Amino acid sequence: MRLPDPIPPALSIKGLRKVYADGFVAVSDLDLQLDDGAFFGLLGPNGAGKTTLIGSVCNIVKPTSGDLTVFGHDYRTREARRLIGLAEQEINVDRFLSVRQLLIYHAGYHGIGRKTAVRRADELLALFRLEDKADGRAYELSGGMQRRLVIARALMHRPRLLILDEPTAGVDVELRAEIWGFISKLNAAGTTILLTTHYLEEAEALCDEIAVLRAGRIMDRGSAASLRDRYEARDISEVYARVIAAEATS
Amino acid sequence: MSGVETQPIRPYDEPFRAERAPFLWLAEREVLRFLNIWQYSIVGPVLSTILFVIVFGSVLGRHVDTTDGVPYGQFIVPGLFAQAIVNVGFFNGTTSLFEARRDKYVNDVFASPLQWWEINAALVTGGIARGVIVGAGVLAIGVPLTHGGVERPLVFVFGTLGVLVVAAQTGVIAGSLAKSLDHVYSMESIILLPLGFLGGIFYSIHQLPHAWAVVSQLNPVFWLVQVERIGLLGSADTSAASALAVVWGLAAVLSVWSAVIFGTNRLKA
Repeated sequence: MRLPDPIPPALSIKGLRKVYADGFVAVSDLDLQLDDGAFFGLLGPNGAGKTTLIGSVCNIVKPTSGDLTVFGHDYRTREARRLIGLAEQEINVDRFLSVRQLLIYHAGYHGIGRKTAVRRADELLALFRLEDKADGRAYELSGGMQRRLVIARALMHRPRLLILDEPTAGVDVELRAEIWGFISKLNAAGTTILLTTHYLEEAEALCDEIAVLRAGRIMDRGSAASLRDRYEARDISEVYARVIAAEATS
Repeated sequence: MSGVETQPIRPYDEPFRAERAPFLWLAEREVLRFLNIWQYSIVGPVLSTILFVIVFGSVLGRHVDTTDGVPYGQFIVPGLFAQAIVNVGFFNGTTSLFEARRDKYVNDVFASPLQWWEINAALVTGGIARGVIVGAGVLAIGVPLTHGGVERPLVFVFGTLGVLVVAAQTGVIAGSLAKSLDHVYSMESIILLPLGFLGGIFYSIHQLPHAWAVVSQLNPVFWLVQVERIGLLGSADTSAASALAVVWGLAAVLSVWSAVIFGTNRLKA
């Protein structure tokens, strides 16, 4: 009996390098692999290269060099693009469209038909408690609502790899807990998650693997427990401080 | 928040098949964008062009002899029509792309399965659609007002399509290069308006000294005006073949330029 082919990594990055036009090296020869179903946390200070790394995977940033694949597909192909959902740190929404239209047209860009797109938009508007605002404009929403809208948009085409860049930045404690709970359920149902956050204790509780990024390089990675053991630290905050401090003094 | 997470996970190894082409969605969004602001995007340009026809054609035209045997009011309609569709085609592409870049919602498009040529084509389609609506409005009022007509329909249709591609594609290129909103609006006063006024909208180059007549032919807007004048009035300062060749040649060059910008990812960081 022939065994089924193994599922390729959700994300495979080899030798990623990004040098911006002004000469700034944002990411330097970075290798990273995420297995299907992983919940991966990417930690690092501002300017460490997290957003550039995510932008490269999502076809927003043009890598200087490197090979990137998504479930075995070159990251630029339609197949790869359809498998990724991205909620960016910045609230970047089309201000000419209503909240409902934002979701519908996003689904359309992923090749989804109108009927399905409308149905999914209504489901997600209800799920994220945005039904009352469906016909309004995104810029009229509160910060928390805009954050929910950006996450809802990332889910419209049912991505298999969900990339969340600071999904809880600027939201209150209650909504933060709600978002983390929702993301955990998505992961339990099989969605691979790549997360960046400054909430270290939450990354420790949620992620099954964590990497610490600094100056465009992965300084260390592993499960929260293995990192704590390695650095003889009480928690990830301590690990983070030591990794970042060690790099700064080296 | 519960419910969506219980839905089946998407297979990773299926080829991409669209229920509806992503290009159609983006082109539709481009049309929806200007329809949402129809007062500024449609009514404004039609009204200002018709005012030109009334003031210059009907009022001043009474004091001007015929130009190339055509009443002055009729003579200026093709040029004003060309100017109107060039302006809206250009600004549609420029503002749409510039705003998408500035507000970063272009990222949602780049991250989707849309390919670069589809993004470019959808932006151009938006500009063409807006030009067609504004142009139809101008003709619907301007032609009866000046007792004109469409003398050479084939030249008019192919010529206008070429003019719209030139305008929309130039707008997309400008939108990709613009760094601020001031930059976008200054293009009208520094580039479009002078080229328009020196492009033979209000006069025939036969009325100019020889040297200026030659210089006029280096102005691309001159050829856009000529092709519309031949289509609507039957003749102009150049032949239909040369006017169509120049307009479609320009359209081809600009399309290649735009393809280079999109195809080589110059819009990405």
